[in-house]
Amino acid sequence: MMERVMDTVTEENRKDKLNKERMEKIDFKMVTFSLGGKDYGIDIMKVKEISKADRFTYVPNTAPFVKGVYNLRGEIISIIDLRIMFHLPAEKKKEGVPENIIILRLDEYLIGVVVDTIDKVVGISSETIQPTPSLFGDINIKYIKGVVNHEGRLYILLDVDRILGAEREEVRKEIDTPLLKRIEEKVEAQDNHHAVDFSFIIDTLATFKKFTVNSINETWVRKRFDEWKSDRAYKGEDFQLKDPTEAEEYLSAFYSPYTGKFWAEEYCKAFESFLPEMTGGAFHVWNAGCGNGYETYSLAVLLKSRYPGSMVKIWAHDNDLLNISNAPNLLVNPEEVPEKYRSFLVEGKNGYQFSQAIKDSILFEYHDLLHQSSFPEVDIIVARDIVSFLNPSEQEKVFSEFMDKLKPGGLLFLGQNEVLNLEGWEMVDRGTMKAYKKEV
Amino acid sequence: MKTKMDFPNINERKAEGLKPDGTPYKVLVVDDSMFVTKQISQILSSEGFDIVGTANDGQEGLEKYKELYPNVDLVTMDITMPKMDGVTSLEKIIEFDKNARVIMISALGKQDLVKKSLLLGAKNYIVKPLDRNKVLERVLLSLK
Amino acid sequence: MRVEYINPFVESAFNVLREVLNSDIQRGELYLKSTSQPVLGVAAIVGLAGDVEGRVLFDMSKPTAIGIASAMNGEELKSLDDLAKATITELANMITAQAVTKLHELGFKFDLTPPAIFTGDNMEITDSKVEALIVPVILPQGKVEINVAVRERA
Repeated sequence: MMERVMDTVTEENRKDKLNKERMEKIDFKMVTFSLGGKDYGIDIMKVKEISKADRFTYVPNTAPFVKGVYNLRGEIISIIDLRIMFHLPAEKKKEGVPENIIILRLDEYLIGVVVDTIDKVVGISSETIQPTPSLFGDINIKYIKGVVNHEGRLYILLDVDRILGAEREEVRKEIDTPLLKRIEEKVEAQDNHHAVDFSFIIDTLATFKKFTVNSINETWVRKRFDEWKSDRAYKGEDFQLKDPTEAEEYLSAFYSPYTGKFWAEEYCKAFESFLPEMTGGAFHVWNAGCGNGYETYSLAVLLKSRYPGSMVKIWAHDNDLLNISNAPNLLVNPEEVPEKYRSFLVEGKNGYQFSQAIKDSILFEYHDLLHQSSFPEVDIIVARDIVSFLNPSEQEKVFSEFMDKLKPGGLLFLGQNEVLNLEGWEMVDRGTMKAYKKEV
Repeated sequence: MKTKMDFPNINERKAEGLKPDGTPYKVLVVDDSMFVTKQISQILSSEGFDIVGTANDGQEGLEKYKELYPNVDLVTMDITMPKMDGVTSLEKIIEFDKNARVIMISALGKQDLVKKSLLLGAKNYIVKPLDRNKVLERVLLSLK
Repeated sequence: MRVEYINPFVESAFNVLREVLNSDIQRGELYLKSTSQPVLGVAAIVGLAGDVEGRVLFDMSKPTAIGIASAMNGEELKSLDDLAKATITELANMITAQAVTKLHELGFKFDLTPPAIFTGDNMEITDSKVEALIVPVILPQGKVEINVAVRERA
């Protein structure tokens, strides 16, 4: 009898010991967190860091689980909301309250995932990981590596590679060309009306004014929409754009300062702050969409004043013949121009025009931006309020042309309310004005 | 009874291309364009001029002139032609016959060549497109 | 194309055509084309040299060419024979020459090179991609596209 008890005890001890040994053989560590009320774990080898973040840059036209992109100490990474990806209930955090992020590293690729709460690092033996029961709930089973029991809690181990590898291609693809797709407003449950209204605005701007709404100008268009709606409500009018006139009115606030006019002193000064101190023998400019030439002459006067010893040459293009045909012989009233321009004017038989020196520095051409251009590399490109009036594929073409024609380190100036977020261009923000530098 | 022959026809006028003695002026047309040659020939022959020869370039023009000499009253000479241009041909014709009467036919844009021709001895010039009245006027001036 | 060059070509085309055809000419709206290939069937080309390089191309259909040549010769031509071709060539020359003169007056030193005429059904004159200004002119005999491609000499 005694022996049988002894056997049992020995057996128990042996099992215990085995268990202990198993547990002590900690060869797998995981970061645990909660998601939709359940406990999950991720292999710590895949985790770069844990963070909190509240400001993501929304990327339009991506899958709903892509929250956006985030600047992690200079590196731009995509942020995925696993709760949305797995269709789990997510507690909507208040504005400004940061989300919990786990930054994962997969090969060379960094990605962030939003979770409910982050718990702790748990060490286990990989032998204790059990295969996923087939009738498992919430998440698509292929994303689960297994389940593990630890100190009374059941953790679901996520196969991060699979989740993110498969989705990675889609996310990458979307993020690489964010600009050039139209915004398709998602009709969210809470924002139904607003979304539809806004998409009508997008359509009418495109139809009536050939204005493309996308990440280049979206911020402005949305802000304007709110302004426009309250303005129209106040007047007792409907905010939908019914004809080109109304569309033009909507867009009237879009245009850069001094459109169709000579640039005033402070605008010139702001522009000059971007220019190098000195320049070599020549300074070349491409003025795309120069219109009636006021902008071009402003540039010529500005540059000749700043670089008196250099050969300034401006290629000024527009595809509106009527507009540009008056530019070469523009008549000017000296009383109506800012002071600095007057010394560049000469009197002729029909009135005042710009001096031959100024005129010789400008080549006004009736030219379509989308056609082959033939001029050498330029130091700066001034294209204000032009790209917004091109369709997405035209925009792609033009930006690539800009990239080709600009010297490395050269600057691109877009419209006041236009923003560029494209690879190869670095934004230079001086407060009142922005420019984009071609990365060397 | 008076017949039609006796009454002078008030609508009758003298053909421009006839000399005082009633014989037609003889014209050599030098031009590389078939069309221009035809035009000049038509205008002139409709006024009684006699087109005695045509040439397609300055070289041929010079040779024909020498052949037909002295039975050429006027040469119409196109300025731009292959092989030998009108100015060179003019020069050589004048060399051959210092009394040669040559009138230059030019397209616009060749003013300096026209001036050169006049200095070399051409009597007058006509600018294309050819206008019938202008052609006749200048031709007659050259024949004085 | 440089703005200052446009009017001389438009005016010359108008003036010369009106004079030689003695009829109503209508000008269509100017536009830009990215490759300057002729499309209508008969092309008369005059080269440009000097401050610029390029050419002026007169593009029209065969029936239009025959019609214009007939009108200019004062007789019904039955086909695009030597006379008709010489006539169209001369027309191209006159228009370009007048434009060049106007450009001279504006201070631009252009020069003409002798014209050539090309005919064919599937013509392919390959200009390396050069932007062309198209001046469409509508005549009783049909449409003529005056196709100007010039580039500043670097």
